[in-house]
Amino acid sequence: MPHSRSMLRGARRLTFDPATAEDLVQETLLRAWRNFDQFEAGTNARAWLFRILFNAFYAQGRKVRSAPVLVPLQMPGRETEPQSRADHTLLEGAMVTRALDELSAEHRTVLLLAVVEGFTCREMADILSLPIGTVMSRLSRARQALRERIEPASPALHRVRAGGE
Amino acid sequence: MVVGCKEIAELAPLYLSAELDRARSAAFDAHLKSCPACMQELERQAHLDARLREGIMAETLDAVNFDRRVRERIAAEAGKGYWLPLSGLRGRRWALAAVGIGAVLLVVAAGYRGLLGPHVARVYADAALDHRREVIEQQPRHWLVDPAQIAALAETRGVAGSAPLALAGNGYHLERGRLCFLDGRIFLHLVYSNGAAEVSVYLRERGAESLPGRVRETENGRNLRASNPGDEHVASFQTDRLTVVVVTDQPADAALQMARFAATRL
Repeated sequence: MPHSRSMLRGARRLTFDPATAEDLVQETLLRAWRNFDQFEAGTNARAWLFRILFNAFYAQGRKVRSAPVLVPLQMPGRETEPQSRADHTLLEGAMVTRALDELSAEHRTVLLLAVVEGFTCREMADILSLPIGTVMSRLSRARQALRERIEPASPALHRVRAGGE
Repeated sequence: MVVGCKEIAELAPLYLSAELDRARSAAFDAHLKSCPACMQELERQAHLDARLREGIMAETLDAVNFDRRVRERIAAEAGKGYWLPLSGLRGRRWALAAVGIGAVLLVVAAGYRGLLGPHVARVYADAALDHRREVIEQQPRHWLVDPAQIAALAETRGVAGSAPLALAGNGYHLERGRLCFLDGRIFLHLVYSNGAAEVSVYLRERGAESLPGRVRETENGRNLRASNPGDEHVASFQTDRLTVVVVTDQPADAALQMARFAATRL
């Protein structure tokens, strides 16, 4: 289905539950299918679908869940330390996504839309029904919040770097 | 226009999403050249963005099975009397079509590259791979969605600006466009949607190259060829001025149908 992967990625970060995320995207696609005549040719279909997704999410009184409690990345003992570049990449990716999940729902949403899905600030303003100035300031604060969670030392990563990769 | 460090921080989101107008973008660039601190800050931000993007994209999604379930639910709703937008198919006929689409999706299991045989022409294999990555897997990319901008982009590649919109119709609308490489050559990649499925059409100003593969049929004097590299279906033809490659992940005839339509419009 068009754009289902993008929406599944976003819905997972809203709900933190794969089954609920699938329900939400399925509902979004069904609404889009029923109302396809309202889509204006030549406009951004992906932005239109995301707007439906957020409307569907909030219309049903669903609340953005907090991130689940996660197991710390750094494990005791050398046998658990990553050895290869692939391990390092996986670890780094997991660390960044965990930091994203720890952010507020507002910050998580704008980072996903802007950084991962590539929406412009104007498109996000339309999707989220917010003034563009609010989107810009929220995005700046979200980037700062993410950086504060990632850059203050990651022992596991530091061990990799110190290991001479 | 002069911008300072404070404005740089405020405008950074628009700069990173390429939304600044030309004057402010030039002023932004000028400040970065003269301010190492702002430049370093922006580079750190761009690096963090890239890490976040890679981290999210590395996560697995079972979109194929999800798509199948959605198609089945749409088919069930269509059976209750909903109209399928644009296609004109009603209820039971759409349900049958959806079952066919679902069957094709179920076949998608053996991976992509493993199914490519040496007999598949490189341009078709590249087109199928590009369609899979950019349309099915939906890698985040910057696409043009404004038909006027897509037309301007087409003209930069020697393709008539009217061509992208000329291929809209037959139940499909032009959704987005960008440039890509197929077999080492630049093609204009256009995506058309009918609301339930997307079709990729790759256009290029015709050079000396000729398309490989057996001619399946002739439409409007154009020889239509078909190929199946992996899970995608490819149809192609050439006019005096253009090379055209159509790719879908829908049942095989969908690619040929779009190619037939395109052969009458280009």
